[in-house]
Amino acid sequence: MPPIVASPTAAESYLWAIILFPLAGAIVNGLIGRRIGKGNVTLIALGAMVGALIVSTIAFIWALQGTVLHFRGDPWIRVAGPDGRALISIGWGLLVDRLSATMIMVVTGVGTLIHIYSASYMSHEDDTGYARYFTYLNLFVAAMLTLVLGDTLVLTFVGWEGVGLCSYLLIGFWYTDPAKAFAGRKAFVTNRIGDFGFLVGLFALISIFGTASYGDLQAIARTLDPAATIQVGTFAGRTYQAAITFALLGLFVGACGKSAQLPLYVWLPDAMAGPTPVSALIHAATMVTAGVYLVARNAYLFSLAPAAMATVTLVGALTALFAALIAFVQTDIKKVLAYSTVSQLGFMFIGVGVGAWWAGVLHLVTHAFFKACLFLGAGSVMHGMGDETDVRKMGGLLKKMPHTAATFGIATLAITGFVPLSGFWSKDAILGNALFSHNPAWHQVGEIAYVLGTLAALGTAFYMSRVFFLTFVGKPRTHAAEHAHESSPVMTIPLWILALLSIVATVLALPVHGPLGHVFERFVEPVFAAGTERLLAVEHLHAAAHPSWPYFAAWGVAALGTLVAWTMYAGPALEAPRKLALAFPRVYRFAYDKFRVDELYEFLVIEPLRYAAYILWRIVDVFAIDGLFVNGVARAVGFAGSMFRVAQNGDLQRYAAVMAVAAAVILWTVLGAGGR
Amino acid sequence: MNLLTLVTFLPLAGALALALLPRDEHGQHRVVTLAFTLLTFALSLGLWFGFDASAGAPEFQFEQRVDWIPSIGIGYHVGLDGVALLLVMLTTALTPIVILSAFRAVEERVKEFMIALLVLETAMIGTFAALDLVLFYVFWELILVPMYLLIGIWGSQNRLYATVKFFVYTFTASVLMLLAIVYIYFHDGGTFDYVQARQALQVTPDHARWLFLAFAVAFAVKVPMFPLHTWLPDAHTEAPTAGSVILAGVLLKMGTFGFFRYALPLFPEAALQYRNVIAVLAVIGILYGALMSLVQTDMKRLVAYSSVSHLGFVMLGLVALSAEGLTGSVYQMLNHGVSTGALFLLVGMLYERRHTRLIAEYGGIAKQVPWIATAFVIVMLSSVGLPGTNGFVGEFLILSGTWLSRLGSAPVFATLGAIGVILGAVYMLILVERVFFGAMRNPANRALRDLSVREGFVLVPMLVLIVVMGVLPGPFLAPAKPAVDRLIARFQQAEARLGTGPQVGTVTPAVAVRAAAEVPAPTLPIVLPTGGAH
Repeated sequence: MPPIVASPTAAESYLWAIILFPLAGAIVNGLIGRRIGKGNVTLIALGAMVGALIVSTIAFIWALQGTVLHFRGDPWIRVAGPDGRALISIGWGLLVDRLSATMIMVVTGVGTLIHIYSASYMSHEDDTGYARYFTYLNLFVAAMLTLVLGDTLVLTFVGWEGVGLCSYLLIGFWYTDPAKAFAGRKAFVTNRIGDFGFLVGLFALISIFGTASYGDLQAIARTLDPAATIQVGTFAGRTYQAAITFALLGLFVGACGKSAQLPLYVWLPDAMAGPTPVSALIHAATMVTAGVYLVARNAYLFSLAPAAMATVTLVGALTALFAALIAFVQTDIKKVLAYSTVSQLGFMFIGVGVGAWWAGVLHLVTHAFFKACLFLGAGSVMHGMGDETDVRKMGGLLKKMPHTAATFGIATLAITGFVPLSGFWSKDAILGNALFSHNPAWHQVGEIAYVLGTLAALGTAFYMSRVFFLTFVGKPRTHAAEHAHESSPVMTIPLWILALLSIVATVLALPVHGPLGHVFERFVEPVFAAGTERLLAVEHLHAAAHPSWPYFAAWGVAALGTLVAWTMYAGPALEAPRKLALAFPRVYRFAYDKFRVDELYEFLVIEPLRYAAYILWRIVDVFAIDGLFVNGVARAVGFAGSMFRVAQNGDLQRYAAVMAVAAAVILWTVLGAGGR
Repeated sequence: MNLLTLVTFLPLAGALALALLPRDEHGQHRVVTLAFTLLTFALSLGLWFGFDASAGAPEFQFEQRVDWIPSIGIGYHVGLDGVALLLVMLTTALTPIVILSAFRAVEERVKEFMIALLVLETAMIGTFAALDLVLFYVFWELILVPMYLLIGIWGSQNRLYATVKFFVYTFTASVLMLLAIVYIYFHDGGTFDYVQARQALQVTPDHARWLFLAFAVAFAVKVPMFPLHTWLPDAHTEAPTAGSVILAGVLLKMGTFGFFRYALPLFPEAALQYRNVIAVLAVIGILYGALMSLVQTDMKRLVAYSSVSHLGFVMLGLVALSAEGLTGSVYQMLNHGVSTGALFLLVGMLYERRHTRLIAEYGGIAKQVPWIATAFVIVMLSSVGLPGTNGFVGEFLILSGTWLSRLGSAPVFATLGAIGVILGAVYMLILVERVFFGAMRNPANRALRDLSVREGFVLVPMLVLIVVMGVLPGPFLAPAKPAVDRLIARFQQAEARLGTGPQVGTVTPAVAVRAAAEVPAPTLPIVLPTGGAH
């Protein structure tokens, strides 16, 4: 047996390889990729991914056996005061517990599949573009793994901003299109607003706990009485609970930015400007789930701050429904999937918000499978239709693209919550737990989330089925649709793997007794044990078994949504959508324009800021400071200026001499007057 | 011979050597100048490796003292603490890069240009090395001469207005400092020696406040702090590339260095009194500079205003007076030198090709000049403080150090500063987008050349520094520690004199102080990461 698996210590010392593989791939392809040909670029990028996948798997096996791998790295940023205390002491430490082990498997597993798919999807790019694409993609994976593996909030933040950068670069991949370049910037800036919250939360936590390391935070927090009053520092006079709530809300602002929740979700739909495999990997399966990971990672702290949990729950529930409503009437297949992602992320936040952390994370995993499958399927459709994304111009692709249609269908069933596919179990575990939770800060928030979430689930079933029927069923509506062709196996094999995974993931959450039941819940239990214990103690959660009627209700909802969509888009009432749109033109238009939120922000934030900046510039800088003050003084000493202007001949020595003499004269005068 | 003195005056010797060369041999002028600056850098490495950053080491190293005008107590006294060392290294590293960047940009009066740069280098190093107030003042003012000439002779259209403005601003403020220096002379037992003056200075609190303000205004102009910043956009815009790089890279740090070395340690009580005012101005500078950058149409002017914002961070970290904040400030001084220096180099390269600085003249040129675009994006990332680049380390330390400091309303200052981080991303991304992305509409850009080999040599050291300082900040943080600790200790003595309780240093984390009734303090081995192992 190779030494890497011989002992946990050995495995720990190899953890950095998980990140360094893709990082090295990015560096090599970035420097020489354009000159070595597409084949070699693919080989390097894919090789890096497989390397990361293998090391991740080994780490995962250790986690499976119950070992927590913790690599304590050398310090990166460390500043100690004169007394030797170092509040800012950030190391290169990595942590693999069962939560991060799950995440790295998703990232490297789905990542590898998407690298394979991309090799075919991006083959039309020239050598430079192709190398650039894989450079960014590898770099993204490295950043995402840093985010997940970091053992402190700061290292997570490093990955956090790193994935934001790669997202920016990949959304604007075809940067010669101004709209795409703008979408990239929009994503980066919106994420930066979230990152601002992250930083504030981080600083607050350091000032409370004196550390930013996850392990220490939890260990210290467990010795605290949340109701005790803080004696010193920023939060002096307030309770620990209040201070922690403040800090966690800051972190959650960060999560809202990264995971596209209200009110910061606006960048994600535009992010679809990037290549479709990027949408699958970054804007569906991995990066956007980072916010959910962040909340789950700090589960114990959240359990001390019920108000923060209530906020997470409510924001998640509102986002789930809001995004689903927008998705109803969108006609761009990628836009529908994007709003669907926003909505599904909302579900995940309901899960982690009500204390069903495992359910939120499970939905993250299953969503990674079926949403990646849906996006790659959409990419396959676009590939076969000459980059068409408007579902109104598709139809009948079932016969032309059987593999794409089958896998897209399976994933659609999974996301709509069709029994027994994975999406059903994870989504309904979330909703069931929401219904029976009682947040001490706001008792009804779980029930509200259940209602909003169920409505969102109904919407999900409707709009996802709608997209499926419009794309694959019926008659081809355009010439392109008639002549669509199936994609190459390089693309369809990843589709099938992801579709199968969305089925197989079912076994993770079967609500039965015995070794097959609650597999995932039991797997991640050690990570969340302390938090769950705390929630049980304050009766936020209840140990008793829940009734099973929510499951049936949810199934009914999914079936209803699908049925309505079938009626309207593939069945007897084909004219209904058009009539509805005509009957309520304003409502339709408003929804089609995505409730004009972008315009609202433009009007409320962006324009005022721009005008304020311009006016400040003209009034304060140009008029007040320069016009009145500086130039006034300057005119007074204009004489000196004119003298210099005359002598502008570059005679340096003379200037030096004048300078020295002048200084000496001033000195002598002052000293002579004051001293002797 | 003292190594520091050698490093200080070697460029001046180069200037003298250059004066002896024939007037029209431009190639010779360039090569000789480059050789002298490279040699200076090589020698300064001796300072870097010879510096002892341990706690017990002397405060000032490579010290040399020679009487100059003993009758009135003026001496040639030089020496380096860690902060001065870092800034000297920044100067010696940046100057050869600047010289190399100007090989093609300057075709007229090459000899005078190179002489001006060499004199400038001596003056800059001297400013950081000086330990005598008069010597410091002489070097400080000596900088104005070559800088004035650089902008006035090799600048662009509106250079006269810019030079006069630059000169008047800085000279007026410096006179205040000179008066303060003279006043100090009469109240410290008659010496201009900084180390002695720092110990022996006896002034009333009232006078200390005036003296602090005199120094502070002189330095604030140089930094520049809002509202004394308006000379900077003009000077930057009109200066030739080399001038802009030196100005942004080193000259602005003379202001913040002045605070660190003179204004704060000489008058700690007064500084404590005014730190809130300075913090407010610093935060205004951060936000105001960023907002100004949002609406500029001229690339250099945009970068100039971004300097106002970045230097606002440095000032905020300085007056936070916590180890983290001060260290972050020192680090941010270096970062700004590297990243804004690199930005000006890149803008200069575009200017050399197209002879315009207007953003609207560009657009969509990334396809045409991919290497310039790549370098620009990396430098932009450093400027917006992306983790993995040097900018992050500085901004993170400053903001966390401010939050954790004992400055009044510290979290508010840190939060407002963090908003500057958002705005920083906005204006830099807009700049990159407008210049490099989108469709290429202006036909004049179709013939743009990508980086030449020489330009590659100019940029690569900057890019390497950006990454190395971002990933391995340790060696660059270490020299600053003794100086930072000493400054905090000085302020703690002032606190004790004032008897107002702790106002400087880092706060104690909440969990370390618990009410008696509460759970006993945790016995976990990891509770408070105290100093030691690392």
